[in-house]
Amino acid sequence: MARHTACDDFHRTSEAVRREYLGGPPLTRRQVLAAGIGAGLTLYTARAMPVTRVFEAAAADAAAAPNAPVLVSVFLPGGVDLLDTLVPLHDYGRYADLHKDLKVEASPLEGGAGLGLNPQLSRGVGGGIRGLFERGRVGFLPGIDYPDPDLSHFHSRHFWETGLITDRSAPGWLGRWLDRTGSPDNPLQGISMGYGLSPLMRSGRAPVAAVASPGDAGFWIRDVWGEPFDEAMKTYEKLGHGPAGSHALRSSRTAARLAKQVADRLEPYAEKDGKDPLASPVPYPAESDFGKRLRYLAAMISKPLGIRVADVQADGNFDTHDSQKELSGMLGDVSECLAAFQADLEARGVSGRVITLVWSEFGRRPEQNGSGTDHGAGGVAWVQGDRALAGVHSEYPDLNRLDDHDNLKVTIDFRRVYASLLEQHLGTDAASVIPGAGRLGRVSLVR
Amino acid sequence: MQRLFWRAGFGATPREAHHWARRGKAPTIRWVLNGGPSPAPRIGPARVDGHRLDPENEWSHDVLWWLDRMIRSRHPLQEKLTLFWHDHFATSDQDTPLMLAQNRTFRRHAMGSFPALLTAVTKDPAMLLFLSLADSDKEAPNENYARELMELFTLGRGYSERDIRQAARALTGFRVDWRENGPPRCFYDKESHATGVKRIFGHAGNFDWQDVLRLCAGHPAHAPFLVGKLWDYFVGTPIPGGTRAHLARTYRRSGHRIKPVVGEILAHPALYRSLDAPGLVKSPVMFVAGALRSAGQPIDGDAWGWLTESMGQQLFHPPSVAGWDWGTAWLSSNAMHVRFDAANYLLETRSLRVKEKATPVKLSPLRAVARARRAVGDPWTSSRTDAELLRVAHRLLTERKLKDGEWRQDRQERADMCQRVLRHLLLSGPDAQVH
Repeated sequence: MARHTACDDFHRTSEAVRREYLGGPPLTRRQVLAAGIGAGLTLYTARAMPVTRVFEAAAADAAAAPNAPVLVSVFLPGGVDLLDTLVPLHDYGRYADLHKDLKVEASPLEGGAGLGLNPQLSRGVGGGIRGLFERGRVGFLPGIDYPDPDLSHFHSRHFWETGLITDRSAPGWLGRWLDRTGSPDNPLQGISMGYGLSPLMRSGRAPVAAVASPGDAGFWIRDVWGEPFDEAMKTYEKLGHGPAGSHALRSSRTAARLAKQVADRLEPYAEKDGKDPLASPVPYPAESDFGKRLRYLAAMISKPLGIRVADVQADGNFDTHDSQKELSGMLGDVSECLAAFQADLEARGVSGRVITLVWSEFGRRPEQNGSGTDHGAGGVAWVQGDRALAGVHSEYPDLNRLDDHDNLKVTIDFRRVYASLLEQHLGTDAASVIPGAGRLGRVSLVR
Repeated sequence: MQRLFWRAGFGATPREAHHWARRGKAPTIRWVLNGGPSPAPRIGPARVDGHRLDPENEWSHDVLWWLDRMIRSRHPLQEKLTLFWHDHFATSDQDTPLMLAQNRTFRRHAMGSFPALLTAVTKDPAMLLFLSLADSDKEAPNENYARELMELFTLGRGYSERDIRQAARALTGFRVDWRENGPPRCFYDKESHATGVKRIFGHAGNFDWQDVLRLCAGHPAHAPFLVGKLWDYFVGTPIPGGTRAHLARTYRRSGHRIKPVVGEILAHPALYRSLDAPGLVKSPVMFVAGALRSAGQPIDGDAWGWLTESMGQQLFHPPSVAGWDWGTAWLSSNAMHVRFDAANYLLETRSLRVKEKATPVKLSPLRAVARARRAVGDPWTSSRTDAELLRVAHRLLTERKLKDGEWRQDRQERADMCQRVLRHLLLSGPDAQVH
């Protein structure tokens, strides 16, 4: 959709910034948007290839520092409904009208500006997300979105992933932060927990990795050992270098090289003699893949692996068009897993370094359809962690004053949150990652 | 020829490669499009623990069932397009019988009329349930299907929020009967359809679901959108504006048929450029199906189910309605690692296994590489890879002085291991991930 042309970050930024951040023609489909099949991502990675760029020495040192702050992104896919998550008790009558069949009973949050929390968010160790809020470790951001919201999952995700309101392809905002400040040779500095690399983490030049299961990142070849195996791995590594005539081949070589580097760095943490060096000191919900990913992540953060940014996707599909009754259960799972994650970080003594941003690509239409809600605007996000400033940091959208499409009005731009986290938590000038960060303003999110 | 077989399908079986190598491009493209005489693949049917597959009931057998088709098909383009439609009309997490029925629909319409396919997909139970069109009624129209119909299935751009909401009204009327025994039954009920005038793309009328599909297929953005997506799937390099317009014209003049468009794409010179630097990444199922097909090896176990999932592509479970992220997104460090592991499973199969003492000890490095290449189906490799493979073979096969305390296998064992290493690297190395 061309709606965003006028306020497109592409048109607003200077030519230099454009060259730095953006490339490729306007995108029309998810395939191009995310994957760069064909043209999409060719431009920036082609530029990115000379890895000889000199990284700022101070930044490289910071990456290696044991107490360096870590930012974790947790994505709840599908568009989480604000109203049933952070319940507007201050306007309950209007809420009950809009959500005739869906409404949830919620008890008020202390210090929560007349808001209540979905009761399922109390699930988990220490009272789940509610418990964390009461202990001063959660800051909510109701009404979060961007101006003139686009109700497409894929456009919205792309904006959140890149930190840019543009339909051009671009590296992810976390990947760009690493390009700016990261290490030239540690792929674990930015990790996607899972099979693939999240678009959030896609970088121009900084090495980044996907890790599904850190305990078995090692390589082996069936019925080959000793010298032949070592020689084989040397050859595999060599095949990861050298010229490549296409973007695809270059990516393939890079992936081989990164996989080998990741294996080498994780080798000391492989299970040996029945002992798992990454075992967690706290229990996570059994059978939850999301919990497992967080468990691996907490363990890796506590080791000297130089992790600086990470992203994890929650289980479940929050796109509750006809199934909003399932929202509470999914939020309950999220609450259990994130509460365990926080307890794990605390037990490992690293919770002071980590802030987690939990987000979804948009909110939902306030008025229910038959059994769910359609795509809308003004969603919900929160920051959590020891250093997160507790409270409600944005205005709750007025249920009586909707926008022209009957959606909630946006009360805070997600890019303002990004800019604030970059500066207050990661200590980086936001404008070097988010073009035009100066005019976005800031919100206090870190104490 | 290798390029064509990979782009239009999942690589060539050894018999196909031999047969078509001498016949030239045009006859091969004709065969790819229309079928006709060609040596049968002669790859046996899939077996798991000696038994036939049970795709409806056994976990991951649905995936194996389709992989088996890709490996043994005598009409690979049809399977390749079925995969395209599965990604295009991505449906996930529905009952396996419904997903298999939808798969048959994709295959039946794979190369035919798009409007016929779109009609079949819209009333397909798996889709009706996945995108909330079932039970979207006049009282509360659900926008889910209307939005993805325009954004992902037909147009990409060129519509408004108002079009979506009006179309959602016009699309009402489908209902679902959740039965206690057997899969849910979907049907159309005039009573739950919102009658009255709707305005869509500037047209006004008492539209119903078929009118919406007709309006979408007739929208000026549709033809360029769809031919562009097909081009990306087969070629990958940016589509020149003139080519897009030309293909869109072909598509419209043929009455919105897929085959003529794909025929022109497969014959286009752009598809055959940079033969020494392939520009597309093999998706996980292409990687697996292609490796097995090229080696002439049937499915003989269920590992391929979880392996393709770990590489990021579980058939019948695309991650969202937008399908999978194609291209270099397949190649995360983790996915590359799983592909390396997958090569171990390939090395375990009958066609690719190197049995103990099966390799002649006196094989020269050059012949050792040739032997490995033959076994995996003589894949494309870059000159750099060729040199490195020869180098490693040389190191492993020639006697040299060892440092003190270094332990070394005997010659036979090293010859076997060298053969395994070469086959593994041919299957797992960077070159093997692109086509």
